[in-house]
Amino acid sequence: MRKVLLILGFLAFFSRGYAQIDSLEANRLVTTANSIGVGGVNILDTYLSPLEYKGTEVRFMNEKMHLTKFFSGHVSAQRIFQANVSYSKNPTEDNSAFSGLVNWSYALHYQFKVNDHLKFLVGPAADMNLGFIYNLNNGNNPASAKLYANLSASGMAIYKFYLGNRLFTARYQANIPLVGLMFAPHYGESYYEIFTLGHNSHLVHFTTPYTQPSFRQMVSLDIPISRIKIRASYVFDMQQSHINSIKAHTWSNIFMIGFVKDLYVLKPSVHQRLSERLKAY
Amino acid sequence: MKHVTFHFVLFFLLMMPLINTSCVTEEEFSNSPSGNFEALWKIIDEKYCFLDYKHINWDSIHTVYAKSITPSMTNDGLFEVLGGMLANLKDGHVNLSSASNVARYWKWFEDYPENFDDSIQRKYLKTTYKIAGGVKYCILDDNIGYVYYSSFEDAVGEGNLDQILSNLAVCDGLIIDVRNNGGGTMTNATKLACRFTNAKILTGYIQHKTGTGHSDFSDPYPIYLDPSSNVRWQKKVCVLTNRRSYSATNDFVNSMSLLDNVTIVGDKTGGGSGLPFNSELPNGWTVRFSSSPILNVNKENIEWGIDPDVKVNITSSDYEKSIDTIIETARKILKK
Repeated sequence: MRKVLLILGFLAFFSRGYAQIDSLEANRLVTTANSIGVGGVNILDTYLSPLEYKGTEVRFMNEKMHLTKFFSGHVSAQRIFQANVSYSKNPTEDNSAFSGLVNWSYALHYQFKVNDHLKFLVGPAADMNLGFIYNLNNGNNPASAKLYANLSASGMAIYKFYLGNRLFTARYQANIPLVGLMFAPHYGESYYEIFTLGHNSHLVHFTTPYTQPSFRQMVSLDIPISRIKIRASYVFDMQQSHINSIKAHTWSNIFMIGFVKDLYVLKPSVHQRLSERLKAY
Repeated sequence: MKHVTFHFVLFFLLMMPLINTSCVTEEEFSNSPSGNFEALWKIIDEKYCFLDYKHINWDSIHTVYAKSITPSMTNDGLFEVLGGMLANLKDGHVNLSSASNVARYWKWFEDYPENFDDSIQRKYLKTTYKIAGGVKYCILDDNIGYVYYSSFEDAVGEGNLDQILSNLAVCDGLIIDVRNNGGGTMTNATKLACRFTNAKILTGYIQHKTGTGHSDFSDPYPIYLDPSSNVRWQKKVCVLTNRRSYSATNDFVNSMSLLDNVTIVGDKTGGGSGLPFNSELPNGWTVRFSSSPILNVNKENIEWGIDPDVKVNITSSDYEKSIDTIIETARKILKK
């Protein structure tokens, strides 16, 4: 009986809060998704080889999204952390390469609500990337380091619909870098020269869509099943650069599956007032 | 409705650049005799660093060798033609590798006296020599230290070098024999050389290509040799060289030749001053080529080798008596 009262009290506490969620408290509702996926990858880096390598990529993605207080709550924030590794082979399959990339991005989107089902989000995004391609054949040019940061334009369309009495959420998102900074060696410059001899001038380049015509896009569908929400998504990640006559692309086509959770973040003062029976920590 | 249209237009205007995002790709050659020929020719044309220095007309070489390419030629035939084309570069750092063969240019030592015989060397090393890392060493009968480093591919640790130099500290002089050392890792060569200088010195320069043109090079960047903070040798040194002292060994000899107590003895080095890169052809054959030239302290190319201070060959009479003329010459220099 005490347990029932405890739960009812907890729900009552939050039912008071929901009255405010449409305004200021809405920024405490965080939609979090963790997904893993696998797919194909095409890799070219002419610093290592003029040939395109093809293989398999494995990717993890963590996404957090919530409303902010900016513009009366019309702006949402999105943080994405993703990491991928791949193994690929040259066309004759007698040489291999490993690659990996870690990407962190933060976007602020102004939400244009069309109706109760559809809204468009547009806004700026910033992202940082750190990765590598390692070619197993090469001697003094065995690897290509990937280090770059961008300011991007980001757009999203979110469509919510019911099937039966279940609410599905479909989403399309695309980010395109507009300006950025990227590490790139000179055309024939060895990493021995850069890192051992210390000749490290002019290695950071200002990038534009002309020198870095990249974009990331994602389609996802959140599917409620019983008490959980599953996210099925497709990611097309097109990372490209053309700097110092070195051409590089990594095209990833990844199918991902994950779980979505909607979490409400409590203020410390509210958390303090909660019964200790509700706290694991 | 007007409101909705505005949002749609806004959204798609933003997305327009995405639709226009172009693919960054490289020119693709077919996996055919002509495709592989063109791919190899282009790699050398755009990336090889000595075309101008060696006065090679790469366009005319294309004209000559393209005539030998036929659609029905065998892999062996293609390999022979491509290897022949690369031989025009006269560069030991240029190789074409298939599953069955490695095309190479070795005339930089094949056309010259050997000036090294490991059976004669064993008479000097005896059976009691020590091994530390990739280095063999001993004390010769006349109290001269002898160190043989056969390949800079083999690592030697700072602790190894401390022990070697400490064990040989009682010697009157030191011979460092890098004959038949075909090179390896530059850092191993530098690790050894820095044991023989007490001051930071300029040893040369390195350039790299900045574009696909034959003369697209960076300014020469200086290369310095910093003194080791570990045990350093203070007595006289002779470095023994022959034509097979190549690549990183050429660089080692270049550095050592600038030091006061060091005399280079033997034959001219084989050269090989271009830092090699790798690439590959559509059929999977790999190609190695010189990418970044290393210059000496006078900004002169050392691709063709470095002359010794004392030029000496192993004489045929000494050879018959199992005497290494070059080692004997070094001993005399160190005993003076």
